[in-house]
This record gives sequence, structure tokens and C-alpha cells, in this order.
Amino acid sequence: MFGQLFIKECRQTAKSLIYWLIVLVLIFNFATQLGNMDIMQKPKEGQEDYGYKQSDDKNMIMRTTLGQLLEEYYRESYSTYPIGFYKSVTLNDKEDKQIEEIIKETTGLSGRTETRKAIEKWYAAQPKETNAEGALVLRKSMEAEPVEGLTFERFEELMDEADHILGGGSGYEEVSRKSASVPMTYEDAVEEYRKLTEKDRLTGGYARLFSDYMVIFLGLLPVFLAVTRELRDKRAGMQDLIYTRKGSSVNIIASRYLSMLIMLVLPVLALSVIPLSQCLRYASASGISADIWAYVKYIFGWLLPTIMTATAVGMFFTELTDTALAVLIQGAWWFVAVFTGISTLKGGIYGWSLIPRHNTELNWTGFHDNFSQLASNRIVYASISIILVAFTAFIYNQKRKGRYTVSWKGFGRLKK
Amino acid sequence: MSTTIKIRNLNQYYGKKQALKNVNLTIETGMFGLLGRNGAGKTTLMKVLATLLPKSEGEVTVCGTNVSRAQEVRKNTGYLPQEFSMYPNMTVYEAMDYLGVLSGLSKSERKQRIPKLLERVNLLENRRKKVKALSGGMKRRLGIAQAILHDPKVLIVDEPTAGLDPEERVRFRNLLCEIAEDRIVILSTHIVGDIEATCENIAVLDEGEIIYKGTVSELTGMAEGKVFQAEISKRELETLKKQCVVTSMLTLGNNVMVRFLSDEKPFASAKPCEAGVEDAYMYLMQERGGGDGCLDNYL
Repeated sequence: MFGQLFIKECRQTAKSLIYWLIVLVLIFNFATQLGNMDIMQKPKEGQEDYGYKQSDDKNMIMRTTLGQLLEEYYRESYSTYPIGFYKSVTLNDKEDKQIEEIIKETTGLSGRTETRKAIEKWYAAQPKETNAEGALVLRKSMEAEPVEGLTFERFEELMDEADHILGGGSGYEEVSRKSASVPMTYEDAVEEYRKLTEKDRLTGGYARLFSDYMVIFLGLLPVFLAVTRELRDKRAGMQDLIYTRKGSSVNIIASRYLSMLIMLVLPVLALSVIPLSQCLRYASASGISADIWAYVKYIFGWLLPTIMTATAVGMFFTELTDTALAVLIQGAWWFVAVFTGISTLKGGIYGWSLIPRHNTELNWTGFHDNFSQLASNRIVYASISIILVAFTAFIYNQKRKGRYTVSWKGFGRLKK
Repeated sequence: MSTTIKIRNLNQYYGKKQALKNVNLTIETGMFGLLGRNGAGKTTLMKVLATLLPKSEGEVTVCGTNVSRAQEVRKNTGYLPQEFSMYPNMTVYEAMDYLGVLSGLSKSERKQRIPKLLERVNLLENRRKKVKALSGGMKRRLGIAQAILHDPKVLIVDEPTAGLDPEERVRFRNLLCEIAEDRIVILSTHIVGDIEATCENIAVLDEGEIIYKGTVSELTGMAEGKVFQAEISKRELETLKKQCVVTSMLTLGNNVMVRFLSDEKPFASAKPCEAGVEDAYMYLMQERGGGDGCLDNYL
């Protein structure tokens, strides 16, 4: 029965308008973000630019963070992302004085005049280049030397204080300090390329980048499919006809859930064929042994738990409330996850986010070193979604027996 | 396994409101009518039998299985609710096939049964039509077909003829009678004509209580000698309405031909006539003190 029901549910999904809208959004997202994906070429010595890398060198973290603080203090304008959106912060005199104190303790510089001089001195010492348009280009962001004897722990305390003064979401909050963006040398670039082609076998790195772009939308869109599916019976006046059937609630809910997951994964798998073929062409021409299954592994390992969760949230709250409340709940969760993820874009910090980010084909080390963190994250979300689906089946079963009714006067009521 | 429904001391509550009061019934194979005005508790009783509501108190078994064992009961019951539809974008065949899977029928069983059932309800030629394109009568017939798809021993039909035109109503009643040959069909309705045309055994529910159970002829027997007919003036009609329950009237110029209930002949021109189910039902309701002197509410 389960198999036949599953096939019928897949057909229903394939005929639903919302499903094709989701597919269109995924295609649009892919086309705009990854449509013109460039495969990283082997670095050549003497290249203008080798890009940036993340460094966990504590001295480097202090230098770049303090450099940013000096510049923002001097401009009297700070960039923050308190709930993900950009916000320019201007401080009052008292707060400005507090930042000044922090700068003095960390760099020894006192007041705007000394800060301006330090900035000018630093930029004057940097090599100047001009771009194709003839404009002056600096390849390195401002760095500031910490005062002698400043420990990293004290530095962290002061940066936390600065972040607090700025209202949170600044470049000085904890997560932003865990790594610093530093320009890569030729040797660094060669090493990253080696990891991409040997450790990641090329496709691994690009599959991660693909997952990074897709996971953003897959953290939200499945909820719409789940909500419309669960509300369809009620809207069609078909609830009682289904409720009085012999089929078990577990079979009904599980077949719906599985069919939605498969139907959502299918377009993602189909889209992955495009970057995969690009990678395979490049790998073949460059003699790289590419992993042909990399995209499949990442889709099922990285994306599927997010799809599972968004779908399960949709099913659970729709059965619980007989409304589209799940869209609001998932929407709020998605909003927080996406915008707090901005500070972890470069990967290596996955935490417990529903939407783990790794917006680069590089940083294999970050991925490798934090793989267990990512794996735990994904396992937890997959488990949560299975638990939610089990609860959905329970609620559905109670509704079939008339033991759970939703009335908004007293919300849902479970009878004995 | 016996094809019997047994209801013993069934009480049903919605919060503090008692919807069914000490209901006792035994229903055997054939058509069984459940009659009562709107809000009498018919749908509640149907839902308990269809396992859509848990019983509050009492004992209810369907074909020997307690209704608390919902999944077992569902194997033997088919249900056509008062308000229903199906996925509008599915074709008639697809909707039947989907519900067939939910009933646990194999692919070959569905392939064999669905065309036969659609033919039986005269919808075979419409099998590729979308559900949303069906008329009210067609939808009701499709409803019956889905309810007997898994060949249940009990078919529960709640207010099936509401909103149907006279032709569809007759067709639907006949269909129910055919289906009831080898199973229990419980027809719940507030339309006396449906019961009169189809059922031998009936029960009348009022405010959650069974106020009558027995055969239709026994019910009509209760009103025997109490039904009269007379041609009176329109002015006299108002007086008569205050004294008796008028079960029908026909205007004839300035006069009215009335049919009414009375324990004895009220005036010389009144002629006794044979009691029908409507008369008997009205008599029953009058005896209970629930009648309002006009049959319109029950038709």
C-alpha cells in the first residue's frame, strides 16, 4: 500500500502549481547565482591577485579587526548587521568616548588625530596598483598593530564590549573574529588549488558551493508545498472520505512526506548536472580525477536535512492548527538563519544553523576540520524532522478518530 | 462475522451539551432509515458509527467489532458524509483509484472494481471527467461509488439527497436500495419522502433521543384514524391551524384543501383518510410536543 500511495502522492505533487513555482524559483536562483560559474584555474606565478583566504592566526585576527575598528572610528560610522540587514551606526559622544578608550587600550592610539595619522601611514606604506580604468587599487585592507602585551583574551573582551556599544551584529562580534580574511600568496593559492583538485577532486568544492546557494531557498520553499498539501484535503472537502479509509495514518503521512522530499530533490539533482558537467569537462582536460558522485553526496548530505526540516515543519503545524501558520514559523526561522549566516559565509563555521553556509569552492580545510560539527548539525535536523513527522502522524490519527479538533476559540483540543 | 450494528446505551456529549441520549438500536442487513429534524443528532450518530467521533459512553459494535477499534471497523464500513467533495483536479477514475489505494485495494482489484462501480452509478462514460466538472447529482453518485469501493458490509449515508433535483433523487434512492441487498445501508435524512421510498426499518431521533424505532408500517399505523381531509375557507384555515397539525394544503380558489391530524373527527365535512409516513411522523412529533403545526420544516 505504501508504495502505491507514494506514487500517487508524487503524481499529485507533480500536478500542483506551487510545486512548479518552487521549481521555477530554484532554476532562477541557480541561473542568477551559478549560471556563469567559472572553474578555478591553476594559479600562475606573478598573477595580479590570488584572492583571499581565511586565517585563524590570532595576531592576524587582531590586526585586521583593529584595522577595521580604526577606520570605522575615524569615519564615525560603523557597519552592522543586527538581524542580517545592513545598518549604519553613528555613536553619541559617550559611546564614541568608550570606543576611543578601547582603541587606546588595544592600539595605544589616542583620539582621531592619532588614528588618522596611523591610517595614512599604513596606506602610504602599501604598494599601489592601478586597475584597467586607471584607478588606484589597494589589495589589502587596513591592519593595525596591537599594543605590546595585549592578550587575545583581553582583545576578545574589548571587542565584545565594542560590539555591545554598537548594538550587536558588528564586525567585532565573536563569530566575526574567529577568522580573518587575508590575501593569498602564490604558495597559498597553489595549496588551495591542490586541495580543491586532490582532496575535493574538483567536484567536491563546487558541489559545496552549489549546496550553499541552493540551501538558502530550500530552507524556506518546501514549507509552502507541505502546507498546501496538508490543507488540500480540507479545501477539497475530502477529509472525511480519507479519514474513514482503512489505510494507517503513518502510511498516509509518511507517503506524503517522502513523496514531497523526492519531488523536491529531483529538480535539485537535475540542476546539479550542469555544474557537474562543467567540472567534469575541466577535470578531463586537466587530468584531474573528479568525483562524479560529489553532487549527489552533497545534495543528500547537506541539502536533504534542510528540505526534510522545512517540509516537516510545514506538515506538523498545518495538521496541528489547520492553518498556514507553518509558513510564518518557517519564514521567521529562515530569516534568522539566513541573516545570521552572513557572518559565516566562507564556511568552516556551521554551528546549529538550519542553513549552513560555505560560499566558496575553496576552504577545504575549514570544511574538513569542522566536518563532524556539520555532520552533527545535519543528523540533528534530520532527526528533528523525523520526530516532527511522527508527531504529525499522531495528530492526524487523533483527528481521524475525532479525538483532536481544531477550534480557534480554544485552539486544538485533544480528547480522551 | 454477523452483519449487525448494535448500539447500547450510547450517550454522546459535546462539552456540556448532550447530543445523544441513551440510544439503543440494533440494525440488520437492508435499508435502515434514521429520521429526524436538523440538529436531532443524526450526523453525530453517523460519525460515531463511521469512527469519526469517539463515543462518550455506551457500547457500539459494527459487525461484531467495537467502534473503538477504528481501523478494524473501517474495513467493514463505507461512509458518504453530508458535505463532501474530492480533489477537483482529479478525474473521476483517479479519485476512485486514490481512495482505492487508501482502502488497501491492490492494483488489480482496483482495475477490476472501479469500472464496474462507475458503471453501476452510471458514471463510466464520465470517468475521464474532472471532479470539478461534475454536477451535484453526479458527485453524489460518485460519493456512493467511493463508499462501496472496498465492498463494505455497512454503508453509512448522511443526508444524501439534499440539493438534488427530483429525477436525481429518485435515481439515488433506487441505487441505495440495490446496494442494500446484501449489506446494511443506514440512510440518515430529514426528508420523510426518502425514508418512505426506501426503508422498511426506521428510527426517529429527536433532541438526541430515539423516539421511535420499528417498521415504517408500524409508524403509519400509529396515525391510523387520526388523519383527515377537508375543503375549508381560508378564514377557517387559521382556526384549524391553531387546533390541529396541518400536514398538507392545496389552494382551490377561495378555499383550501387541507390534510390534518386530529384524535377525532373535528367537524362534519372532514373525511378520514389513510395515513402516510409524513402524517405519522408529524403525529409522532406532535405527541412528543415538538411539532410546530406545519410540515414545511421537515420536507
